Amino acid sequence: PGGVVVPRAGLKKYVLPPDYSGIIFPERTKLKFMDKVPAVPKVRREPRRLRDIRGPSQVATDFTQGQYGIMALGGGYLHWGHFEMIRLTIGRSMDPKTMFAIWRVPAPYKPVTRKSLGHRMGGGKGPIDHYVTAVKSGCLVVEVGGRCEFGEVKPFLTQVARKLPFPAVAVSRDGLRQMRQEEEEKKLNNQNPWTFERVVTANMLGMRKYLSPYDLRLKGRYWGKFFLKHRV
Amino acid sequence: MRAGGPPPPLRPLRSRGQDGGAERRRRRAMAAGRGPGAGPERCPCAPLSSGWLPALQFVRRGSKAVTRHWKAMHFQRQKLMAVTEYVAPRPAVPPRCLAPRKETREEDNGYVRLLRRQVEEVFRNNRLIAVCQYNSMPGEDVVLMRHYLRKHNIEVKFVLNEIVRPVLSQSKYKNLLPLFVARNILLVSREAKVKEMLRVLKGVPQINLLGACIDDTILSRKGVENFAKLPSLEASQGQTVGALALLPSQTSSLLQRGSAHLTALLDQHIRRLQAGETGSPAEPGPAQSSGAH
Repeated sequence: PGGVVVPRAGLKKYVLPPDYSGIIFPERTKLKFMDKVPAVPKVRREPRRLRDIRGPSQVATDFTQGQYGIMALGGGYLHWGHFEMIRLTIGRSMDPKTMFAIWRVPAPYKPVTRKSLGHRMGGGKGPIDHYVTAVKSGCLVVEVGGRCEFGEVKPFLTQVARKLPFPAVAVSRDGLRQMRQEEEEKKLNNQNPWTFERVVTANMLGMRKYLSPYDLRLKGRYWGKFFLKHRV
Repeated sequence: MRAGGPPPPLRPLRSRGQDGGAERRRRRAMAAGRGPGAGPERCPCAPLSSGWLPALQFVRRGSKAVTRHWKAMHFQRQKLMAVTEYVAPRPAVPPRCLAPRKETREEDNGYVRLLRRQVEEVFRNNRLIAVCQYNSMPGEDVVLMRHYLRKHNIEVKFVLNEIVRPVLSQSKYKNLLPLFVARNILLVSREAKVKEMLRVLKGVPQINLLGACIDDTILSRKGVENFAKLPSLEASQGQTVGALALLPSQTSSLLQRGSAHLTALLDQHIRRLQAGETGSPAEPGPAQSSGAH
């Protein structure tokens, strides 16, 4: 069109405020204090059992009460220091009147033994040093909800997620759904006819000689405690 | 790909020296409780493409399965991971080369619909719609201008281009579209008082007339000025009537022209005769000619 077009503001589109009708607040909106040692401390020292870190999580994979949360993208152990950090950071940054936060992982229950420093190997298993919680990939650590938007909550959730011992990310319900959808789409539109799953289940070229029986279940997306996000 | 038949069971190496202490192979069949020398067992959960459980497996050396560091993968495993990577789909025509799909915005905004209805009403009800360029004016000047125009029953309307353009493009006023580009205002009125409008606008330098639509006729700036110079409807009607009535009014004089000419000639003749003979009785002459009519 002829003439000089001077940029100016168009019609203002009024956005309706979000609907917070179906939200139920728990009794205590702030995060509960987690004990360092369980109420009944373990007497018997337990084997290491690192398989509680390996692979995808079966518990706490979906949202229950809240709308946003921190999801673990790798396996690891959370000890009391981590719990305190999470509790204090979130308690400091959130507004207890409009938001609430809940734990999705249990308090430390697994005893970890440590031998005293500077001694040679041998002499039996060391005494219990501290307790930890095992977290697998795909597990939600904390959930936050209330009359708030993701933009308000994301900064301090990412701040917490960076400090965790495993890679973690702040997610919302929509974000999680989208992630899962993208994974499904990737699986469907993968142009590579050779997939890890196919090779392992058919034991092509005798590959299972170099793979673990757990790889049947893990399907090449997990290696040790790590979660390989880019794999199909 | 199928392996070419199950491989024969290998004998375990008992001596460390041969192995170099690097890897020891254990018979998995022993662990499974079957006799020595047994072949590989069929995997019960294998799909139709027959996979089989390996009889022998490497005991991973060094660290455990789950480590804090990134455990180095066996080279074969690395090769497998490289082969089974995700390959993204590539369409035959890259999306860059295709025309971008313009996503139509849904106008379910009630306010937008209301504004559009108002614009349509304006175009339907008013005879005179003038589009003017609007440069920023001080507030009191705007109020004054509106006041003067209101006296002549002309309203000033501010409309957003993004609302007017779709409305116009779907109505019969498509040719007014190029006018609605930059900041503009609409002067609307039920009667067409163009002269007064132009007089007011002349006093306001910040408003420039771009075009007008008077009685469904689109006029440019010059056209509006010419329209203003036209005489009013009554005057033009009177002119037309006068022009039409001119000929009939001349009819009687046309018909009487011949006899009037004869009368004039005879009068002249009589006067010459009277002037020629002074004192001669010329009354019966003119009396006869006047009685002849």
